[in-house]
Amino acid sequence: MLSVSEMLKMRDKLRKWREENYRNSEQIVDVGEELLNEHASKLGDDIWIIYEQVMIAALDCSRDDLAWSCLQELKRQFPDSHRVKRLAGMRLEALERYEDANKLYDSILQDDPTNTAARKRKISILRAQGKSSEAIRELNEYLEQFVGDQEAWHELSELYINEHDYAKAAFCLEELMMTNPHNHLYCEQYAEVKYTQGGLENLELARKYFAQALKLNNRNMRALFGLYMSASHIAASPKVSAKVKKDNMKYGAWAASQISRAYQMAGRGKKENKCSVKAVEEMLESMQITMS
Amino acid sequence: MAGPELLLDSSIRLWVVLPIVFITFFVGVLRHYVTQLIHNEKKVDLQQVSDSQVLLHSRILRENGKYLPKQSFAMRKHYFNNPETGFFKKVKRKVIPKNPMTDTSMLTDMMKGNLTNVLPMILIGGWINWAFSGFVTTKVPFPLTLRFKPMLQRGIELISLDASWVSSASWYFLNVFGLRSMYTLILGQDNGADQSRIMQSQMTGAAMAMSPDPNKAFKSEWEALEIVEHKWALENVEEELVCQDLNFRGLFKAEVQVSVD
Repeated sequence: MLSVSEMLKMRDKLRKWREENYRNSEQIVDVGEELLNEHASKLGDDIWIIYEQVMIAALDCSRDDLAWSCLQELKRQFPDSHRVKRLAGMRLEALERYEDANKLYDSILQDDPTNTAARKRKISILRAQGKSSEAIRELNEYLEQFVGDQEAWHELSELYINEHDYAKAAFCLEELMMTNPHNHLYCEQYAEVKYTQGGLENLELARKYFAQALKLNNRNMRALFGLYMSASHIAASPKVSAKVKKDNMKYGAWAASQISRAYQMAGRGKKENKCSVKAVEEMLESMQITMS
Repeated sequence: MAGPELLLDSSIRLWVVLPIVFITFFVGVLRHYVTQLIHNEKKVDLQQVSDSQVLLHSRILRENGKYLPKQSFAMRKHYFNNPETGFFKKVKRKVIPKNPMTDTSMLTDMMKGNLTNVLPMILIGGWINWAFSGFVTTKVPFPLTLRFKPMLQRGIELISLDASWVSSASWYFLNVFGLRSMYTLILGQDNGADQSRIMQSQMTGAAMAMSPDPNKAFKSEWEALEIVEHKWALENVEEELVCQDLNFRGLFKAEVQVSVD
């Protein structure tokens, strides 16, 4: 049995997870189930959104019993709501009854053609069934109408990367970069895609965007490694002019020194520091791209 | 400067000033809830949503295009502005001009707006004028010219009275506008009791979903996009980065310990 203060703390934790979009479903199910069973009356109006949150988490953990009871409560309170219908559809998806889920979403869309949630769920059904080319096609149509939906752009870029269509994935990531110019993760992902595409121009772009990601967030180790790799790759390529080669070797050397400094700082005060620093140096050497 | 300092009876303060504040405030709160009750869901058109998002997209392209590589920017600009196949040139939406008098949904909206906002204001203003007339209520802290006298001193016919002394009706109007921030505090943003915002929107006449003329909006976006040039923000990014040192101090220590344990 929890005291009132503990209950309030749990409620605030749930709210934080909800607002920051955490996906720690098992924790949510634990905390939420206890909260709902013991303290339902004290939660007031918050209870409905907690039901929704716990239900989605329960679907993630395949707790169909909990999901069903949450759904019943929500259906009782909001009988005609599209939002609740979408949750019912998600439960059907979790049970792999894709046909029924599709029918449900279609009925929502007939009622309200602008409902984005139902359309996105239909696309995720296609993805769950493994029909990625159809999912890509549907997602493209969706994005033609709702150009501003960033989740959708990100999903599309992931789908394209899985299909190895890097040019189109780069396009999607450009959209994301444009709308969120200060997000270093998009810059870095874009740079990685460009690096994978290969070719001198793309490598240069990749290097620039790795540098931009570092500028936006100087803790991004992945971008630092990416900068090192792309710079050394360009420097090792036979077609570049001497000046470009020199510049890139300078960048590569700088990146390498920053990497070793970072590992030194991180390992400060730990006994294994010396070995890990040496390991980093060896790794950097082995990552050198030579012409052979 | 004119007139001696008047000393007002303190019962004016107790029985006039404070009641008017309370009345205004509670009527405002009431209006907010009534607005919420009789407000009906606005049916959005798919086409409108899509158009507004496209316009937003184009605007973002203009503002943040400098973070994209030159070619990508050119590709997108081309998509919008190409003389033959560009989006803004090709797509002409059929616009049915929405006449406020005949369009039923807008008519009911307007009526409801009037009912909840203007009507109470008139009623209560009139009642206060009738009930609390004939005496001076309060003094505004800044001097006013004589032209304000007939407006602010209804019911008090004293030629020599300073224009700063106002009647209860003007105190009521002061309250209506002054309590706006109180409403925001208690009812949250976007509340139905906020009269001045509604009056503002009525004056500018801008409809919410931008339905009047997407064509015009497209044309202005097209012009704006034509003149934008691409100046790559990433031109010298590596030089800048390499010159400075990535400041790692203090960033890693705690993190590593947590992750290892």
